Amino acid sequence: MKRTNLTLWLAAGLVYIFLYVPLVIVVIYSFNDSRLNAEWVGFTLDWYYKLFNNQEMLLAARNSLIIAVSASLLATLLGTMAGLAIHRYRIRVLPFLVFAPIAMPEILLGVSLLLFFLQILNLTLGLVSIIIAHTTFCVGFVAIIVRARLQGMDDSIFEAARDLGATPWQTFRLITLPLIMPAVVAGALMSFTLSIDDFVITFFTKGIGEPILPIQIYTMIKIAVTPEINAISTLFMLLTLLLIIIANRLDSGILQEGKKS
Amino acid sequence: MNKFRLTRWLISLPPILFLLIFFAAPSLIMVITSFRFPGEYGGLAPLVAPETDTMAGDSSLYGLTLEAYRFFFSDILYAEIFLKSFAVAATSTLICLIMAYPVAMLIAQSAKKYRNLMILLVVLPFASNFLIRIYAWMIILGPESAFSHFINNMLQFFGFEPVMMLFSSFAVLVGTVYVHLPFMILPLYTNLEKHDPVLLDAAQDLGANRWQRFWRVTWPQSLPGVFSGSALVFIPVLGMFAIPDILGGTGDILIGNLIKDQFLGTRDWPFGSALSIMLMLVVLCVTGLFTLLARPRAPK
Amino acid sequence: MKSSRILISLFCLLCITLTSCTSGDQVASNDLPDQDDNILRLFNWNNYISQQTIERFEQICQCRVTQDYYSDNEELLAKLAAGATGYDLLVPTGNAMDTLIHQGVLSALDKAQIPNLKNIDPNYLGTLFDPDNRYSIPYAYTTTLVGFNREKLAELNLPTDSWSIIFEPEYLKKIRGRVTVLDSQRELMAAALKYLGYSANDTDEVHWQQAKKLIIQAKPYWAAFSNTSYIRELAVGNLWVAHGYSNDMYQAALDAQKTGRHFTVDFVIPREGAVLSLDSMVLHHTGHQPDLAHRFINFMLEGKNSAELTNLTGSGNPNLAAQPYILPEIITNPAIFPDMAQLTRLEMLQDINHTQRRLLSRIWTEIKLR
Repeated sequence: MKRTNLTLWLAAGLVYIFLYVPLVIVVIYSFNDSRLNAEWVGFTLDWYYKLFNNQEMLLAARNSLIIAVSASLLATLLGTMAGLAIHRYRIRVLPFLVFAPIAMPEILLGVSLLLFFLQILNLTLGLVSIIIAHTTFCVGFVAIIVRARLQGMDDSIFEAARDLGATPWQTFRLITLPLIMPAVVAGALMSFTLSIDDFVITFFTKGIGEPILPIQIYTMIKIAVTPEINAISTLFMLLTLLLIIIANRLDSGILQEGKKS
Repeated sequence: MNKFRLTRWLISLPPILFLLIFFAAPSLIMVITSFRFPGEYGGLAPLVAPETDTMAGDSSLYGLTLEAYRFFFSDILYAEIFLKSFAVAATSTLICLIMAYPVAMLIAQSAKKYRNLMILLVVLPFASNFLIRIYAWMIILGPESAFSHFINNMLQFFGFEPVMMLFSSFAVLVGTVYVHLPFMILPLYTNLEKHDPVLLDAAQDLGANRWQRFWRVTWPQSLPGVFSGSALVFIPVLGMFAIPDILGGTGDILIGNLIKDQFLGTRDWPFGSALSIMLMLVVLCVTGLFTLLARPRAPK
Repeated sequence: MKSSRILISLFCLLCITLTSCTSGDQVASNDLPDQDDNILRLFNWNNYISQQTIERFEQICQCRVTQDYYSDNEELLAKLAAGATGYDLLVPTGNAMDTLIHQGVLSALDKAQIPNLKNIDPNYLGTLFDPDNRYSIPYAYTTTLVGFNREKLAELNLPTDSWSIIFEPEYLKKIRGRVTVLDSQRELMAAALKYLGYSANDTDEVHWQQAKKLIIQAKPYWAAFSNTSYIRELAVGNLWVAHGYSNDMYQAALDAQKTGRHFTVDFVIPREGAVLSLDSMVLHHTGHQPDLAHRFINFMLEGKNSAELTNLTGSGNPNLAAQPYILPEIITNPAIFPDMAQLTRLEMLQDINHTQRRLLSRIWTEIKLR
C-alpha cells in the first residue's frame, strides 16, 4: 500500500485546494458583519441568530433534507437494481431508460413531470411529487456507477457461489453486495447532492406553500447573497460531516470492498 | 434455472417500471408536443385544443407538424450552438478527468482507514448550496479580488494586458468543472479501488517503470470508470444553463440556455421540446458509442 | 451484509435527526389544500411583501398566508401553463397579465369588496391590458433604467441620462467590461428601440434589425447579460454602469451607502424614455379563497400597508394614500416616483404574438452567439 508518491500527493492536494477555496469563503462570510459579502468587516453570529429565527427557512431546510434523503434512498435502491440488471441480464431497454433522464434538459423534465402529475395522474403536488421527480434523474447516476464497478469483474465467483448451492439472495448478500458497496454508497452520495441542489425541477413539481431550500435560497439571492445563506450552507456541511463521521464509527468499512472471507 | 429467471425479473422490473411510468410517459407528452403547433399565448394550449388556424398555410395531419424541426434546420445558428455546447462539454469533461484521476488514485491507494475521510472531503463541499458555491466563485474571480489582482500583476509583469476573469468563458469553465468534479472522482474511485496491486507488482518485476505501469496496467483497467465518469460529466453539462447565466460573459450561450429561453421567455414549447429531443438523440448516440468503447477488454 | 445494514440505519438516523431537530415548533405546512381551510395562497415575486404586513393580515383575518415565489413573469406563466392550480392571488406584470387574461384563467374582481380602490392614482388605472380593471388592481411599479457609479462616471465625463451610455461605443470604450445589461429579450430590445427613437412596443422587423445591429455593435464592451448579480456588483464597485430595474438599483444604492463605499450608486430614467412595469394583484380561477383574496387586496390598498412594501423594496407605488408613510428618500427620487412629465415618456410592454416572439428569440440567439 505504500505506492503513493509525491507527485500524486501534490496533484491531488491541488485539486482538494480547488474544491475548498470557495468553501472557505462561504464559511468565513457566514461570520462576517456585512450584508454584502464583499470584504471582511467584523465577526458576528447575527446571521446564525437570524437563521434560527427564520421559521420558513428552517422548514425549508427540513423539507429539503426529507426530500434528499428519501430520493437518494429510493434512487440508490432502484439504481443499484438497474445497474445489476444491465450488467448481469443485459436488458436492452434499461441502458436507454437510465441514460435518457440524465440527458434530458432539466427544464423539460420539470415541465413534463408537472404536466404528467397534474393532468394524467391527478396527483396533488407536495413532497411526494418532488421525491419522485428527483428519483427519476438520480437513478441513472447510481446505475451508471454501479455498472462501472461491475464491469470487468470476474463473474466466475457468482457462478461458484451458485454451484455451491447458494440461493440467489445469499449470493447477492454475501458476494455481490459487498463487492459493489463502494459504488452503491458513492451513488447515494451523488444522488443526495443532486437532490439537495436542484432548483429547476423542484420549482415545477413543488406544491403550494411548501418552502424548499433551493427555492428559498434563490429567492433571497435575488437581492444580494445575504450571509444567512452562507450560514445555512455552513450548517448543512457540518451536519453532513457529523452524520458521515457517525456512520464511519458504526462501520469503518462502509466505503470499501467487503472483507473477504 | 426457473429461480434464475425469477431473480432476473425481480431485479429488473422495479427500475424499468419506475422509469417507464415517471420518465418515459411524461417524455412522450413532450415528444408529441414537439410535433404540435405552438399556442398563440404560449404554454401547451395546442395539446388540449389545437389552434391550427393560427398557423394557416402550413400543411398538417391531425394537428401534427414538423414545423418546429423545420425551424431548427432553417438556420445554421442553432447547429452552431450545438457545436459550441459540445465543445464546452468536452473541454470540461477532459479537465475534470485530468483533475479527478490523481485524487481518485490517491484515495484508492491510501490506507483503508483514511479512504472514507478522503471521499467525504470530496463530497462535503457539495452539501452546501449550488448557488452559494457559484457566488463564491464570483467573489474569487471578481476584478477586485486578491486572486484577480495576483493574476493581473503576474500578467503585467510578463507584459500582457490585464484580464477580466469574471463574466467570461473561462469563468464558465471553472464553474462547470467545480460543480461536476465529484461526478468524475466517485466513479473513478469505485473503479480504481478494486484494482489488484498484484498486477502492478508483477509489472514492476518485469521491469516496467512507473509511467509504463500506469499506461499499461492501471489506465486500461480503469476505462469503465473513465467512461462512466465522463458520461456523468459530459451529459449534464450539455443541458446546463445556470452557470453560463451567472458566470458567463456576453457570448456564453449553450443549448441549455436556448432551451430554457423557449420554455420561459419565448413560450414556444414545441420548439423547446424539439430542441431537447434532438439534444437527447445526439447524447444517446454519443453514449452508445461510449458503451461500445467501454466494453470490458481481456486483461493482459 | 453488515455494511448494507449500516447504510440503511444511517439513512434512518438521518431522517430522525432531521425531523426531530426542526419539527416540533413548526406549523404543519404540508397539509393538502382542501376547500374549507383558512389559508390564503399567494404566488408572488421574491421579496415583494414585508413579513410584518403578512403577520398583521394574518391577525386581522384569523387566517394563514402561504407564499410561493417566482423571480420572473415567465416562470409564473410556465408553471401555470403546465396546469398548476390552487393559487388564490398572483402578482404578474402588465404583459404577463395580458397573457393570463387572454388565456381566460383569471377571475373577475368584485369591486364592492374593495372600497380602498379609491386610493389608487387614476394614472395607473385602466391600462391597455385591462381597461376597466375587471381583473387587476395595481400593486407596485418599477421603471427600467440605467444605474451607475456616480463618481466614476463624473471622473470619466460620461453622460448618465441617456441610453447612449450602454449603446454608444464612443462612451463604452472608457468603461469596457464594467457594464451589464438585462438578460431579457423584451427589456433590452425596448431600451435599444427607445434609443433609436421608436416605441418600446414597436414590432416592425426592420426596426428590430436596426436594434439588433445597435446591440451587437455595443456588445463587445459589455461584461455580461445580468438580471440579478448586477445589484451586488454595482454596490461593490466591480460594475460602473448597469441596465436594470429601479427597485434593484435602490437596493444597490442602499447597500453601497450602508457599507460605507467611497462612491454612490445613482440611477436615472434615460431622457429617451423607458419601460414602466406595473405589477397588479389578480385572482386565479382555481383559487379556493376568493373572499379572503378580496380582503387581502383591500388590506394591501390601505396606505400604511402599501407603504411598507415600498419602504422594503424601493418600488414605485400607485397608491395615493400610501404616500405620507413612504420614506422621504424614496418618494422624492424621480427615478422611483416619476413625475407627470416623465410618466409620458414611459411605456408599458405589451404582449407580442407567437410569430413575433419566435422572431425575437431568433434575433436574441444571434445577439448572444455573435
